[in-house]
Amino acid sequence: MSETRSDAHGVPTHPGYGWVQENASGQPWSLSGPTRFSPSSSQVTASGSRLALCLWLPTFELRLELMRSPELGTTSVALLSPGESTRRTIWQVSERAWEGGVRPGQLVSQAVSLCPSLTLLEPDPAHYDATTDALLEVLAELTPVLEPAGRGRVFLGMDGLGRLYGSSHRQAERALDSLFRVFPAPLVASTRAGMAPGKFGAWVAAASAPPGEPVVVSEESLPGFLSTRPVGSLPVDPLVVQRLGRLGIATLGELRRFPEPSLVAQFGEEGRSALAWSTGRRIDPVRPWHRPRPIRVSLDFPTPVGLAETLHGALDRLVERALSRPARRGRSVTAVRLGAHLEGGGSWFVETVLREPTAERDRISFTLRSKMALTPPPKAVETLFLEFTRFGAPSIQSSLFDRKEEAGRSEAGRDLARGEVPFSLKDAVRELKLRLGYSPLYRVVEVDPWSRIPERRHALLSFDP
Amino acid sequence: MSDTQHLRPLGQPRPVDVRTDESGEPVYVRLPGKPARRVAVVREAWRIDDEWWRRPISRDYRAVVLDDGRPVTLYHDLLNGRWYAQKGD
Repeated sequence: MSETRSDAHGVPTHPGYGWVQENASGQPWSLSGPTRFSPSSSQVTASGSRLALCLWLPTFELRLELMRSPELGTTSVALLSPGESTRRTIWQVSERAWEGGVRPGQLVSQAVSLCPSLTLLEPDPAHYDATTDALLEVLAELTPVLEPAGRGRVFLGMDGLGRLYGSSHRQAERALDSLFRVFPAPLVASTRAGMAPGKFGAWVAAASAPPGEPVVVSEESLPGFLSTRPVGSLPVDPLVVQRLGRLGIATLGELRRFPEPSLVAQFGEEGRSALAWSTGRRIDPVRPWHRPRPIRVSLDFPTPVGLAETLHGALDRLVERALSRPARRGRSVTAVRLGAHLEGGGSWFVETVLREPTAERDRISFTLRSKMALTPPPKAVETLFLEFTRFGAPSIQSSLFDRKEEAGRSEAGRDLARGEVPFSLKDAVRELKLRLGYSPLYRVVEVDPWSRIPERRHALLSFDP
Repeated sequence: MSDTQHLRPLGQPRPVDVRTDESGEPVYVRLPGKPARRVAVVREAWRIDDEWWRRPISRDYRAVVLDDGRPVTLYHDLLNGRWYAQKGD
């Protein structure tokens, strides 16, 4: 097991199963869902881009934190793993902390006892995701074929770009240069770039590249390039890599000497894939990534809120607002994400895929409340935000004898009490908005009704159904 | 596609002019835009010390009735020394 360290900023990557067996999130990349590129057919496929460029910034999240707090650059810093738990663990560590014996996966108590001067940072996933989005936006100007593989790593399809940008090396350099628009110079200098046919080759090239200097592997030299790389670079189950190590197979070149049937007999389908990758026969093209534009709504609290009831109330309001957005109409929601900016920095979020597509407030709220109960925000919330990230078919299910529209004021009042906005009120607000340009109505909401501080108890929320 | 709403807190304190006696109890109160009124009675007094971990709050509250019969809740901010009137006590 070797240890890989980056040289810029002194941020080491973590020990893994091999020299490239880590991703930006510090997990063995072959295990982590989003960072594992999709295993496609073992033959060259017609769709997607065959020529791949991999840009990789190890310990992406910690580097972003250090850019935000440069004064921590020379200290022992560790980023806590996301999620609420009584046994928090270390996620990523700075070089100083590494020298002090702190390792990813350690319990906080262990880490602090090893390095008493350790500064622990709460993760801020919202910030990391926003930076990733900005990165993808910039790279999309270079090529339309983009495939993110977790935070801090992205594959670019480079087929047919030679006439625009020149040689492969120039293309890779141009991609690195474009990062200056998103990252400060030290971060760009730490980014590794590898270009090769297929994502596996590009990833291995990026992992072996010195920071800031692209490694380009041609079609002809791919088998030779791969032969010297360790088996730890294979995107297969780490147990397979461990067993290969026990059998004395250290490099992809050594793996190649085995006939396919024996590898299949030992490791099943993973053995076949491993062989195809190690020989360079398997080329996974970069496939364009499609993400529908999410609907995002957020609510700023006047003072940070820690009460679950208040957050539940705010969640209901957010779901109502998001459902009423014109972009949502005619579509049901299948995946939602609830997040928060926390007091004193950091962020938190939960995501869920709904069992059935729905456009009902209570169903969406209930699912998110359950998620919140399992992993509540670790600190008081300054801003709560909600995103509808995936959509399904329309789900308008009205009763055959739906008389809501014809119902009188008392019925409308009952609707409002149940959380539904009656049509008569919606119409009235629409007219007022037409006349004034904004909704002059407000709703009194409980923020912290039992607070000893009177101005914390209730607040006005713009009523704009 | 983002849409942020801000909650507007209700019951925000308003600064008022208060004249106190030797013991620091309010004697005269002038609410914004109104003439000064004498404090007829102090109905209740309590103190709040809270949120020392965030932005500390230290208030000495007085629920008073003015000589025109108007009930007012006042507090003396012990951190900046000013008096405020507040609804929603």
